[in-house]
Amino acid sequence: MKSKKCVAMLLAGGQGSRLGLLTKSIAKPAVSFGGKYRIIDFGLSNCVNSGIDTVGILVQYKPLVLSKYVSTGAAWDLDVAEGGVYILPPYASQTGGEWYQGTADAIYHNVDFIDMYSPENVLILSGDHIYKMDYNKMLTHHEETNSDLTVSVIEVPMEEASRFGIMTCDGEDNIVKFTEKPAEPDSNLASMGIYIFSWPVLKKALLEDHDDADSEHDFGKNIIPKLLAEDKKLTAYRFKGYWKDVGTVDSYYESQMDLMNDEVYVGAFSTHERVFSNNNTYPPLTIGPEGHAEESLICNGCQVNGVVKNSILGSGVVVEAGTVIEDSIILPDSHIGSDCKITRAIINEGVTVEDDEVIGEEDGEIIVYGEAHLSI
Amino acid sequence: MNMKTIGIVSANYVSGNFGELTNKRTLASIPFGGRYRLIDFALSNMTNSGIKTVGVIAPYNSGSLIDHIGVGKPWSLDRKTGGLFVMPGSIFGVTLTGNRFLMRDIAANKSFLEMDDADYVVVTGSSDVCNIDYTPIIEAHAESGNPITIVTKKVDNAEDYRGFFVTKDGNGKVTEMVTHAERTADYFMDCFVIDRKFMIEFINWFGALDYMDVMDIVSQNLKTISVGSYEFKGYFGKISNLNDYFKVNMQLLDPKVMNEVFGSDRTIWTKVQDEAPAGFKPGSNVRNSLVAAGCEIEGTVENSIIFRSTKVAKGAVVKNSIILQHGDIKKSVKIDKAILDKYVTVNEGVQITGGEAPIVIGKSKSI
Repeated sequence: MKSKKCVAMLLAGGQGSRLGLLTKSIAKPAVSFGGKYRIIDFGLSNCVNSGIDTVGILVQYKPLVLSKYVSTGAAWDLDVAEGGVYILPPYASQTGGEWYQGTADAIYHNVDFIDMYSPENVLILSGDHIYKMDYNKMLTHHEETNSDLTVSVIEVPMEEASRFGIMTCDGEDNIVKFTEKPAEPDSNLASMGIYIFSWPVLKKALLEDHDDADSEHDFGKNIIPKLLAEDKKLTAYRFKGYWKDVGTVDSYYESQMDLMNDEVYVGAFSTHERVFSNNNTYPPLTIGPEGHAEESLICNGCQVNGVVKNSILGSGVVVEAGTVIEDSIILPDSHIGSDCKITRAIINEGVTVEDDEVIGEEDGEIIVYGEAHLSI
Repeated sequence: MNMKTIGIVSANYVSGNFGELTNKRTLASIPFGGRYRLIDFALSNMTNSGIKTVGVIAPYNSGSLIDHIGVGKPWSLDRKTGGLFVMPGSIFGVTLTGNRFLMRDIAANKSFLEMDDADYVVVTGSSDVCNIDYTPIIEAHAESGNPITIVTKKVDNAEDYRGFFVTKDGNGKVTEMVTHAERTADYFMDCFVIDRKFMIEFINWFGALDYMDVMDIVSQNLKTISVGSYEFKGYFGKISNLNDYFKVNMQLLDPKVMNEVFGSDRTIWTKVQDEAPAGFKPGSNVRNSLVAAGCEIEGTVENSIIFRSTKVAKGAVVKNSIILQHGDIKKSVKIDKAILDKYVTVNEGVQITGGEAPIVIGKSKSI
């Protein structure tokens, strides 16, 4: 097999505990997003749209729905002869087996997988970010600057910088310092958790890190500081565009509501460099004689007989007559009975809401309702 | 199911008048129901009935059909064993004829029947809308011992249908097939099950009549060929002309029809386009309509079928119409009783009004 220029490794093992009910039975990257997508669609689609055809997905927490969803990768055109998409769970060896201890440890345990493709570079991705990005441009930047590690960064408002991992750079965007959530940030370049490593450099660092008893085996906490200490060339790659971490219920809600904004909608869903999904077997939606929809995104398979305003209805959602849904997100295959009032709520996947229910309130906190019943 | 069955989908025909919709495409590949093409029903019914080897008799003008079905992946027909076979049809497909199963097309593809060891063959047309499980029909066929079982549907307004009407005896055996009936009658649904070996023999006997339709030959030989029947009781949307096409599309607005055709566990599969969710903008006013993914609606839509990626701008009003994919309906446009083919642009302020029959605007036109 030809060696690969770049292999992507997508970290999808975290629990995403801050999403509460949404991740009770599924891994965060498998959580529904934007009506017909799952969060992982963005990373996978970015890969294939950037010409990367070999993707390892590192799973650990509740991987079944994610595995079934990713399947052969055909939905993202990743069912290719030399490469493709691979679900990589922790595994046992002759010396025993253990869970992935951290992000770097997960990659460490799959060094052999990466070596099978003898890539020049490895792209590390998080499975819980919403953005569209051409990794190929970042790869070109990585090669042109002769970097050992290139970190994708985005400018954030200075007052918010202490919420992020912050890269401090010299005048040529060489990274000189990395601080996780600094109390007093000296830069507003936030790490997006997207790394391109030259594979030999990363492999050596992972092997050494594994033997370090004090390490937490984390990219941010251990690998990046280690490379900085070794005087390796670390470069920041500035990304401009929409990017959001959907780690909390609020950010999960906000980033979906952002899709209602024309600019984000068109950017996210332009026919050029499409976001692919494995969820396309529903018939078109219907709006009944008494139904009404305004300022909303509605997916195929929906049957709308009530009123929907400023909301997102996922695939196959049924809204009975007399119901008003406002400022809410209804995840796929849920059934909302008649004469309900749903305001500022996220209704979980496959949930049945009985008639006459009132869920959420204007100006209230965003609430997540129901436990997911997944049919996929 | 132990009995092995293969399928043949005949797509080499255009019947009746479809105006510009069939200028460059066969009936089988006319877009339907917001995101489908008519052949999706035949192919999905095959797949959903466990049939894993399907031959499609392609029309001469096969571009749009081949583009749609490809290697059969959406129907899980990209197989190592069996799968999809696109078989050549004769150059004939664009005449106005009632033929569905031209003997010449069947005979030319005899090798498809010879190279398989299946017991039965389900043969169907590709232009009608129904979600049907062939499994009980094949079982009934096997039990009957008849070499052919035809599928029928009781219709109430037989005079509106073209094709064969069937007279049955008390055991469901076909005693007569005629081309005219009135009021209630058993209509042949362009679908039959036939013993594979019998079908090869049939081709050997009647191959010389290659200008005839297989069913014409069968109807004239009912004394020597024992033909059984099976009554289908579900929804059947017959599409043999433009009015049918309009009517059957509109019937999807009836939730009962919608649920029966698309709501069952037997998914109707189609080529996937990965469109974004449909966007309903401020001021959008959509009632009693079907809207596909990728649409952006700012205007008014009533009693209409809007295919994927269509834009309806502010102030535009679309009523009682079918807009095929990528329609671009600009501001203040009024459309009533029209069928717009793919990629039609209707410029600001233009009015399009059909009469009793819907008006058809051809593909890619800007008016």
